[in-house]
Amino acid sequence: MTNFLVLEGITKTFGGVRALRGIDLQLRIGEIYHLLGENGCGKSTLIKIISGAQFPDTGTLTVGGKAYQGFNPLQALSLGIETVYQDLSLLPNLSVAENIGITAQLVGSDGKLSRLLNARELFETSTAALAKIGIDADRRFLSRPIEGLPIALRQMIAIARAVATKAKFVIMDEPTTALTQREVDQLIGVVKGLQAEGVSVLFVSHKLDECKSIGGNILIFRDGAKINEGPINAFSKAQISQEMTGKFVGTSTYKLTPPRESVLLDVKGLNLSDKLKDISFTLQHGEVLGVTGLLGSGRTELAKTLAGVTKADSGDIKVEGKSVSIASPRDAIAASIGYVPEDRLKEGLFLDKPIAENLVVAILDKLKGRFFGLSRPAREVKSIDLREKLQLAAKDLSLPVQSLSGGNQQRVVVGRWLAIEPKILVLHAPTMGVDVGSKDALYKIVQEQVKNGSGVILVSDDLPELLMNCDRILVLSKGRIQSDLNAAKTSEEQLSKILLEKEVA
Amino acid sequence: MTSDVQNAAQSPDKLFRLPQAKLRPEWMTFGLIVALCVLISILNPAFLQVQTLFDLLRAITVPGIFALGVFVVLAAGGIDVSFPAIGAAALYITAILILKFMPDAPLALAFVIAAFVGTVLGMLNGLLVDVFKVPSLIITIGTQYLVRGALLAFVGAVWLNDLPPAVDSFGKASIVSFTSAEGVTTSLPWSALALVIAAVATWFILNRTLMGKAIFAAGGNLLIAERLGFSIRKVHLFVFGFAGLLAGIGGLIHSASTRIANPFELAGTELDVIAAVVLGGASIEGGKGTVLGTLLGVVLVQVINTSLILVGVPSSWQRIVVGIIVLVSSGLFVSRSTSLKSSFKFWQSKSVELAK
Repeated sequence: MTNFLVLEGITKTFGGVRALRGIDLQLRIGEIYHLLGENGCGKSTLIKIISGAQFPDTGTLTVGGKAYQGFNPLQALSLGIETVYQDLSLLPNLSVAENIGITAQLVGSDGKLSRLLNARELFETSTAALAKIGIDADRRFLSRPIEGLPIALRQMIAIARAVATKAKFVIMDEPTTALTQREVDQLIGVVKGLQAEGVSVLFVSHKLDECKSIGGNILIFRDGAKINEGPINAFSKAQISQEMTGKFVGTSTYKLTPPRESVLLDVKGLNLSDKLKDISFTLQHGEVLGVTGLLGSGRTELAKTLAGVTKADSGDIKVEGKSVSIASPRDAIAASIGYVPEDRLKEGLFLDKPIAENLVVAILDKLKGRFFGLSRPAREVKSIDLREKLQLAAKDLSLPVQSLSGGNQQRVVVGRWLAIEPKILVLHAPTMGVDVGSKDALYKIVQEQVKNGSGVILVSDDLPELLMNCDRILVLSKGRIQSDLNAAKTSEEQLSKILLEKEVA
Repeated sequence: MTSDVQNAAQSPDKLFRLPQAKLRPEWMTFGLIVALCVLISILNPAFLQVQTLFDLLRAITVPGIFALGVFVVLAAGGIDVSFPAIGAAALYITAILILKFMPDAPLALAFVIAAFVGTVLGMLNGLLVDVFKVPSLIITIGTQYLVRGALLAFVGAVWLNDLPPAVDSFGKASIVSFTSAEGVTTSLPWSALALVIAAVATWFILNRTLMGKAIFAAGGNLLIAERLGFSIRKVHLFVFGFAGLLAGIGGLIHSASTRIANPFELAGTELDVIAAVVLGGASIEGGKGTVLGTLLGVVLVQVINTSLILVGVPSSWQRIVVGIIVLVSSGLFVSRSTSLKSSFKFWQSKSVELAK
């Protein structure tokens, strides 16, 4: 089979960090590829270079026998390279039809903006594109702005845009995160259809099972280099994750030390409207307590109540025997309770501020220097100290947080709360959307934290994560604690059975 | 191709719970204008006559032309506060050049010079915004000082009370004029036609050309627009150039109707015009608004500014009213409060009907 796109010696450096170190790839016509690798391995950079968002430092891209030093977005589109970006890249104020069909007209006019808009073609293109992915759209829907549409629908629209015109190479960056199973099946159908038409598809996904069911080839990246490639069926899941991380990731327990015999947190009779009903439990010094339950079971509310984000209607919370009242996050911090929220990127990080500032933002009052200012040396020392603890892959702490990969951003949020040295740390889904290697690092941080007597409450629906890290696991259902399990004596099958049974009961 | 997938095609309303479409802000502006007019005519029936309408049209011509330019810049996600300075430069340079070199020049030449001066200065804004990647507010604050200063330093500071004859007679010429029962003559000047032409041209560019979509795309999200293949530099050059062009033409018309030309004209009008555009539903954050809304915003401000005098409202109160309306309408359309939205169900259903 002939190649659609050949990459030779592609390198890209960002502020001293080598994101890509000489990539050679041959991508054939009508093939499916899965680009796999941990956060920060260079996947996103590679996609940006192919889609024309960035120029490589060195190397060439060859399409149809013609070599390019790099593309601009319009060039990539004219060559038939379409991209479904992870952030969807839809224009919120433009209509559905405009979002889907405008690039085709722009390519048709060779980028000249003086051309007239062909409104009829816009509607025809977008109707056909949506029909391809199973949406039967009328004119009223096509005229709606993207703003206000549900995220899953926006994802479908972003996919429709990529298949709207004669695409030859479609990049899909984590296209299934927001989709339900039905929609994922639909998408897989679309991909198979594209392949039959001779279109190549490059997937980026963390979901190995999904990749397996789509089939095709895998390209494994690590640290900005291609580690391995081949037909996906030739690799086992364990082999893939080992190649991605470069180390063997075990599934044994992370727990280092048993909990102590003294009570750290004592919660009695916590009530919150119909969300939490008479919740009572204790947390020992040095204990990791798991909290799980299905959606709507009250696990989120419990975490938020302990963190002071929501206020309980009634109940008694004691920290080391002393009654505390938690009505706000400030109260929670005063009671030595740290909270890492679920939606870190939205609730937790100042993306454009330096890493160091993000790390110390919760302990600013402790870093006071003379004359009311911040003590710069104190901040430096503290943030460097935290970098060691978190094994952050960041040479320069004055760079903005958004320059870090997803997994490293996650560590910054956790690190911020470690900085206040809380006795109790509430972690809400700490490894959601994080690759295997970063998970491993985060789990080790958690266990370091409890070794010296603090307690951790891990709210999660990742069952292996709970079993690997916790001493006990509370299973919530309809706002009540239904089971209090010893993690060491529970298997994943048992836990998942309990979870589902309790919901039915 | 994928027939097994296609047969499952369903309407998006069935697949997802779609929120109701939002109320279009210009209906709110329109409602306010109607309400104000009704109120004023109850208090002072003299309001209801053709003269009022002509006065209104004459008064909105120049701010309306400026507002269209400001709106196009806002739609692309920028802001322009330099248009009064550009307008002043255009009108003053045009008057001086014609008086000095070609006193008998036809009107068309005056417009060509004013348009040229405006466009060049506007494109300079666009180039600076694009090269420095600095918010256009700062750039245009800078250039408006530059333009005014350069006018005084290099062109002159003389007040011209005698305009070129062609411009002068254009200011006097009227499309229709009639005398009312009380013997007052009212006329609709030809310059009002310029506003109509400018509005139609702006509408056409925004709605019927790729540039129009590029402008809204850039206003929606600059990075995404660039990823989709739009040239942001072209958009910047165009919108600021277009705003400059309209500023030049508006400046010349202002000069013709006031029969005066000096480098200090139009100072301080920028915020009035920007407020009017925002009242018409354009978002200060970019990417939203319509030509119709912009014109309605200008009309609303004008009705408040001049017509309230008819019912004896002191002029200080006019500013208070404009301030309140700006704040209330920004509260209504910027915040996504559902309770407020539902209280406008009436307008919402109306706008959906009319949109069909």
